[in-house]
Amino acid sequence: MKKIVVIYESMLVQMRQSFVRPMFKFCLFFNPIISTILLYEMYINSGETNYFAYVVLGSGLMGLWGCICFSSAGDINRERHSGTLAIIYTAPVSFREIVVGKIMGNTILSIFSFVMSLLVAKILFHIEIDIKNPFYFLFSFVATIVVFVIIATIVAFLLMLSRKTELYMNCIEVPLIMLSGFVFPVDLLPKPLQLFSRLIPSTYAVELLRITACGIEDINNFWNKVVLLTGISLLYVLGARLLYRIIDKRVRIKGNLNVV
Amino acid sequence: MAIRRFFEQAYLYHKGRQAAFNAEEFVLLEVGYPLLTMIFHCLIASYCYGTNDLGEWVVGNSFLLCVNSCIFGLGIVFMNERYTGRIRSIIASPCNKIALILANGIFPAILAIIASFLGLIVGVIVFQIDYSKVDFVYIFISIIVAMISASCFGLLLGVLGLLTDSMHMVLNMMEGLLLILTGAEFPIEQLPICVQYVSWSIPLTKSIKAVKGIRVGDYKNYWLLLLLELLSGIVYVVLARFLFAVVEKETRKKGSFDYY
Repeated sequence: MKKIVVIYESMLVQMRQSFVRPMFKFCLFFNPIISTILLYEMYINSGETNYFAYVVLGSGLMGLWGCICFSSAGDINRERHSGTLAIIYTAPVSFREIVVGKIMGNTILSIFSFVMSLLVAKILFHIEIDIKNPFYFLFSFVATIVVFVIIATIVAFLLMLSRKTELYMNCIEVPLIMLSGFVFPVDLLPKPLQLFSRLIPSTYAVELLRITACGIEDINNFWNKVVLLTGISLLYVLGARLLYRIIDKRVRIKGNLNVV
Repeated sequence: MAIRRFFEQAYLYHKGRQAAFNAEEFVLLEVGYPLLTMIFHCLIASYCYGTNDLGEWVVGNSFLLCVNSCIFGLGIVFMNERYTGRIRSIIASPCNKIALILANGIFPAILAIIASFLGLIVGVIVFQIDYSKVDFVYIFISIIVAMISASCFGLLLGVLGLLTDSMHMVLNMMEGLLLILTGAEFPIEQLPICVQYVSWSIPLTKSIKAVKGIRVGDYKNYWLLLLLELLSGIVYVVLARFLFAVVEKETRKKGSFDYY
């Protein structure tokens, strides 16, 4: 119960803090507009008729991941620079719950970037929002968000090790977008990279979203992907717990939670 | 003597910007991440247009590689001067302000030129682009002109750093606009007429068009387009100097030089 309260309180504080930052507002409002326009203008000559599956979903997911990635990774940097990272790290409540709460707060706000992409697509380009299996789509969307939270948590833990968070957080956005097939199928990547992308849970989450948006043709295929997604995500959660223990030890030895 | 001091100052600015990073991080930031972004955009184009001949996009995105050093590197120059409390000394000193503004742009322009060439080389290696029919002297000249223009634009944006504390948002917004408006990803003719005027007024549009032209053997408007690109660069510097003078006057009145 105490853990839930910590996560909830951390989430509320995070949402208030994030929303006043101009850069977060940019990620929330402006970034999805740019992505939607760019993808629409590129897809307009592609012969692809289902704009929702690639343009709206692609830009929406890019916006969602961008918000979660930059704010969650950036929060470690901000806490470090304001000198509070060491304080919240050694607070009586677990740092893990505080970080998860922060990421959940950012994620809830970030959903608006997806809505923004939908609105831009509908208003500016009159793209038809036709989701063939809405219930399954909603299920897949929730699964996608959970997966993003898990990945962002791992990234936030990893970034605790370096004082150059700003540099690394810029380098994690595009690889995940590319390897998970947000805007084009992963089959387009070279074979070794395809294998790598199969180890990332967001690849299955994106496939589920696309399958449910276009209409499920083989329900077994859908559930197979759900099982794979759940299995890999659980492995990631276990990995995150292990990683936290290792990082916890290293951070205490190195003492690099402050700027100097 | 004055010229020597100018280049010394330019080197010191560059050193100041990069001092926080070691060699690997510098390569990651200046080369690795931009090249990855370029490959990502080329892959989207490959899927959208169903083609393996990505020469057009490799050229456009190679030019856009300058964004990192010219827009983000230069855009935060004056914001950083405020942040570190040096802006008072700069404004109070009797030095030539236009020389100071230009000194900031020397190394980012050189880095941008190198990055653009690397982009073209990566295009040959990753996407097997054939440049055998293109005279490299023309490409070299276009890259130099484009990077000068982009650096001047970065300096103009940098002056805005004296007015606002949200430069990261402004610069990210500019990056998005350059992606859409320069014609690197799709022909600007697809945009509404009024937006096309904006496209022509921003850097890189003209040089990208010039190089795309010579790729298909069209040298007709090459020099005119480059002249326009160079002229727009001069206009950005003049605007930067003018804006600096206006802002300097305002900040002297309000006493709002410093960040805190």
